[in-house]
Amino acid sequence: MTGRPVRYNRSWTRGQVALAFIVLTFAIAGGLAIYSSATSLIGLWRTASSVLFLPLLLSLVLAFLLDPVVTQFEKFFTRTGSIFILYVLLLGFVFLFTLGLTPHWQSFWSDMANDFPRYTSQVTDGLRNLMNALHERFPTLAAYDVPTRFRAWAEQMMAAVLSETPHSAMKVGGLMVVVPLFTFFFLRDGRAIMRACVALTPNRHFEMARDLSHMISRQLSQFVRGRIIEAMIIGVVVTLGLSLTDIRYAPVLGIFAGVTNLIPYIGPIVGMVPGILIAFVDLGVGAQFWWIVILYILIAQVLIDNFILIPILISRVSNLHPLLVFFAIIVGGKLYGVIGMIIGVPIVSVIKIILLEIRTYRRTFRLPESALE
Amino acid sequence: MDPLWSSIFRKKLDEDSLTYFLKHLPIFSELSPRALNLLEQVVHQRNYKDQETIFEEGDPGSGMYMIRSGSVSIYTKDDHGKDYELARLVPGDFFGETTLTAPAPRSASAIAIESTELIGLFRADIIELTERRPGVSCSILLGLTRVVSERLQAASHEIRRLQDQTGQHISAESVET
Repeated sequence: MTGRPVRYNRSWTRGQVALAFIVLTFAIAGGLAIYSSATSLIGLWRTASSVLFLPLLLSLVLAFLLDPVVTQFEKFFTRTGSIFILYVLLLGFVFLFTLGLTPHWQSFWSDMANDFPRYTSQVTDGLRNLMNALHERFPTLAAYDVPTRFRAWAEQMMAAVLSETPHSAMKVGGLMVVVPLFTFFFLRDGRAIMRACVALTPNRHFEMARDLSHMISRQLSQFVRGRIIEAMIIGVVVTLGLSLTDIRYAPVLGIFAGVTNLIPYIGPIVGMVPGILIAFVDLGVGAQFWWIVILYILIAQVLIDNFILIPILISRVSNLHPLLVFFAIIVGGKLYGVIGMIIGVPIVSVIKIILLEIRTYRRTFRLPESALE
Repeated sequence: MDPLWSSIFRKKLDEDSLTYFLKHLPIFSELSPRALNLLEQVVHQRNYKDQETIFEEGDPGSGMYMIRSGSVSIYTKDDHGKDYELARLVPGDFFGETTLTAPAPRSASAIAIESTELIGLFRADIIELTERRPGVSCSILLGLTRVVSERLQAASHEIRRLQDQTGQHISAESVET
């Protein structure tokens, strides 16, 4: 080395270049391999989570709902025993319910298949009359053939519903097996799962994590329970109110109104559209039609929901700004379709509750300290 | 007895089991075996390294710790900002019990002075247990109240003794609050 010129020392030997080439090649190949396996892992994760998403969500909600009942039973039995007793009771209830419902079910579906085209043709006629009236005043509007478009859309919808029914029946059957199973374990081990998660926090933050997890889960269970009970009561009220009139499908319309009631601001409006349309087509504009409109708007929404249920069941803490509600619905719909629209708002409320609890916690403990100084 | 059989019928109250440890604490000494079992599911087992902070003065306090092994130093800062040790605690001792039911900032700091195992019992656990098993929770809280009251009585005696020594008069109200 000593006799050689300095320049030669700086440049690389052929062996070193070859080594560098090999190392770089392997590095790039390895990087690509890791990258591709990572993307396939993400793909796997996405598939897995999309399959698990709905059953997990449903069983979590169910566990939140049933937990107080199990806790009541737990004063007399063991926890697992209480869950079993509750399951047997629920199973008996569901069995009796379906037993009472089965004869009506068949005729219900055939009625639906007959009636839906009738409703759409009626609405199409109504739209055509409206358009004709409009055309006389605004001739430029003739280019828009709204009634034809509406009919095409309605026929597509009907076809989709009919072809999807067996498919979704399979899905529902699968859910009916998986959801009770998941719920059972959430009910039995939910506390242990939470403990295990909290136990992962480092010593320094453990106390805070324990306290926060307690407060957040209390708020969350209150919120979920409140929302579900509110939707149930609205569904029952609408069903009862509708069955006083001659309108058909009162239970289905009631259930629809209850489910859509989970979405604030927009949900109730969407929920009353089918009921009012069917009333308009079948009963015409008369006393019964106006009773149905009053039932949906005044009795269900204003009186029961706004004056009675919301103040009792749902704390104002979880109120969201309307703009945030729209964002949640749009993003939820983009991510998970109709289900996403329904659960988008509750999920945003959950995030808000968590943030608020953390803030309250920090504030609670800052006050006495500043009082001491 | 045959060693094989003795290991099969090993007693549950082994000296190194958590139940044994809890049963021999003054707070829980009067609990029934069933209550002890529930308590064991509720407490948290935490390991601390040498010189690891457990909590610092002013931290939000939400529960008590019992020392299973190792030792803990309780200290506060004096007027010049220097650490001043209030107590050194050994296995079987407990600390932080005043914040178990009343949320308050910690009034002193605690640090592990060797590798230490602590058993934590927090307000959230007690509240949840009260909803699930009011009876068990009641007996735990009774034990706690007994120990805290004993400490309070000792503290009032100490205050009275110091009063007599210094001749100063502290009003009765401030002693009781």
